[in-house]
Amino acid sequence: MLSSHIMAAAPVAAQHASSYLPIALQIVFAIGFVALMIFVSALLGPKRKTNDKLANFTSGITTHGNARQPMAIKYFLIAILFVLFDVEVIFFYPYAVNFKSLSWTGFYEILLFVGLFLIGFVYIIKKRALKWED
Amino acid sequence: MNAIILSAIFGIVMMLSSAFVKNTKAYKSIALVGLILLLLANICETYSHAWLNIPTFDMLEFSRFGLYFNTLAIACTILFSAFSQREIERVGRYIGEYFALIFFVLCGIFILSSYNNLLMLFIGIEIMSIPLYILTGARKENLKSNEASLKYFLMGSFSTGILLMGIALVYGGTGDFALVHHGQDISTSIAGAMNKRMSFLDVAGMILILTGMCFKVSAAPFHFWAPDIYDGSPSVFTSFMATIVKAGAFIAFIRLFAIREEETTILENAIIGVDWKMLFSIIIVATLLFGNITAIFQQSVKRMLAYSSIAQAGFMLFSLLSLNDTAKEGLLLYVVAYSVATIGLFGILAKMKDYTLAGYNGMAKSHPTLAFANAIFLLSLSGIPLTIGFFAKYYMLMAVIQTGGYMWVAIVGVIFAVISVFYYFRVIWSMYFKEGTVELKYPVTKGFKILAVVMALIIILLGAFPQVILNFLYF
Amino acid sequence: MGITAIVFWILSALTLFSAIMVLVSKNPVHSVLWLVATFFSISGHYIMLNAQFLAIVNVIVYAGAIMVLFLFVIMLMNLNTKTEMKKNLWMKLGGVISGGMLLWILISVVRTYAEQSKGHPKIASVNTGEIGLIKNLGHVLFTQYALPFELCSVLFLSAMVGAVVIGKKN
Repeated sequence: MLSSHIMAAAPVAAQHASSYLPIALQIVFAIGFVALMIFVSALLGPKRKTNDKLANFTSGITTHGNARQPMAIKYFLIAILFVLFDVEVIFFYPYAVNFKSLSWTGFYEILLFVGLFLIGFVYIIKKRALKWED
Repeated sequence: MNAIILSAIFGIVMMLSSAFVKNTKAYKSIALVGLILLLLANICETYSHAWLNIPTFDMLEFSRFGLYFNTLAIACTILFSAFSQREIERVGRYIGEYFALIFFVLCGIFILSSYNNLLMLFIGIEIMSIPLYILTGARKENLKSNEASLKYFLMGSFSTGILLMGIALVYGGTGDFALVHHGQDISTSIAGAMNKRMSFLDVAGMILILTGMCFKVSAAPFHFWAPDIYDGSPSVFTSFMATIVKAGAFIAFIRLFAIREEETTILENAIIGVDWKMLFSIIIVATLLFGNITAIFQQSVKRMLAYSSIAQAGFMLFSLLSLNDTAKEGLLLYVVAYSVATIGLFGILAKMKDYTLAGYNGMAKSHPTLAFANAIFLLSLSGIPLTIGFFAKYYMLMAVIQTGGYMWVAIVGVIFAVISVFYYFRVIWSMYFKEGTVELKYPVTKGFKILAVVMALIIILLGAFPQVILNFLYF
Repeated sequence: MGITAIVFWILSALTLFSAIMVLVSKNPVHSVLWLVATFFSISGHYIMLNAQFLAIVNVIVYAGAIMVLFLFVIMLMNLNTKTEMKKNLWMKLGGVISGGMLLWILISVVRTYAEQSKGHPKIASVNTGEIGLIKNLGHVLFTQYALPFELCSVLFLSAMVGAVVIGKKN
């Protein structure tokens, strides 16, 4: 009873940007609260600056070397593959919303799309692109 | 449709075979078989119908011209991969992937030869360009190749961004991505007030699209990327980029302005004051000027060919100015003439140690067959009669003259054609009349020589009977 | 001025400001963070146009994933050496002129279009359009635009191949 009520109400509610007002309010409130807390704690808290406190905290290990070093391309490889599959997943959303009305045609379309991505995934695995040590 | 689907499938087959087939010798055989099947499938579609009937919603329109262009592009790719197969294997470890990327590029070209929707134009351009960025940087240990790849990627994506902005504005101006609506022009599909006239949004969008496309075909003033990138990337892939891919971009360019010709004629734009034909003329003259004049001063033959490819693009742009049947025929002739000659030149160049002009000294003595083939290719590029290059240039000039009112562009074209003879003949001069020894980096097989001579013969035979190519367009 | 107009102006100012900050920041990491801010404010615009899917995708893919890639790229560079780019004055001048001309064209386009389309449909339909709703978008994407959608996967495949060819150690 209640769920059918929500389902009936949802599309109507989603059609106007003004329905984003609560979300906007929440965002404003969240940001404002965090900013306020930081500001207030800086204002009220005691300030005792010592060298130890100002040093970078690296889990108790003394820092050494420079942080600005070019890092391995492996991270980038993983990241770019992540983006590709991320975009793939995004396309499921409009499909899922229209799942019923698109019927089998839509299913075959998404199947082809996922199938092509699966081939890509098999290729990546076979090429050991996701293997960290090599 | 056959070609688009099959090329994507064969790209995937190459991907998978590079993952599962261990024998590196097998890749080129698989690729060649794939290309030949692709050719057959495309010819099959030209003469009967597509195998799969996929509803395209007017996104693609398969004309005889586009399909025939596909055939020529596939034939040139077959020639390319047969002629440079050894070089592709020498580029790096990922041989299967290189072929896969070549298939993907072809898929993009097939979309571009038949698109009927600005969205498809964008997707086609992207599918065509992204594999190229990778192929440019395929020689990873070579710093020049890396630099070329990065430059190409940054500038290419920037120009695609401009193109996309243009598409967005055209969409804003016309309310539709489609170029043709059930036989009707797009501008008529919006509410009556601006019937047949381009709106300001539309014009601005078309100018931005023009900019993006000029970049893709390396037309001045957006040509500056070409020399560095053609010079830096592996020679095999330079020959692919400079020939087949460029032709694909040209087809897209011509197709766009041919479909929208009615709106881009002067009368209907008088209110806005955009004279498209004049715009094209300026681009053509600038391209010819930059390409030819800079090519004269090059010492490296590879770099000279890069500049000459800009100059040749200037000639191909004549078809954009005239947009009549002669121009279409001329463009097809030009694609064949320019592609075959350039593939041949780069194929031989890739075997050599010294890419400079001095490296060619005395080639006629040590390698007479290669020198002969080179000479024919160069003659064809400069447009000497009895080669196909002559007819290509002739058709282009003819098309411009037929348009009327743009005689001066044709005259400028002839002048620059004469200038181009100078730098092409310099190479022939060093091959035949200078003393020296040609050092080859890689051995030349008998099959390679035979293929080089066959390509030279193709150029001469088509030069004698250019109608052979054009007949297939109609029959 | 209704609330929509106020939100629009605030968002526009925010977008422009953060876009300019992307360009003028000396530290590339700051540039990336400003770019994130730009994407968020553009997402706000999308919501104003009732294009919810686009807004979400913009946040997830662009502000999320692509920005991570940007940061990775910046970390691939060597940031220790402060190499000041050599700036050619003529280059700058050329850039200003060509950019200014583009701006001129775009401004005149918008102005003349507004004049020309008096009594015609609005350019943008704020707050009421239904094209951008996920249901409508999905329907169009999987029927009319199914072919480009499938062809996109070819694009993704070539990107995957490229990632392996370029990124994998020899």
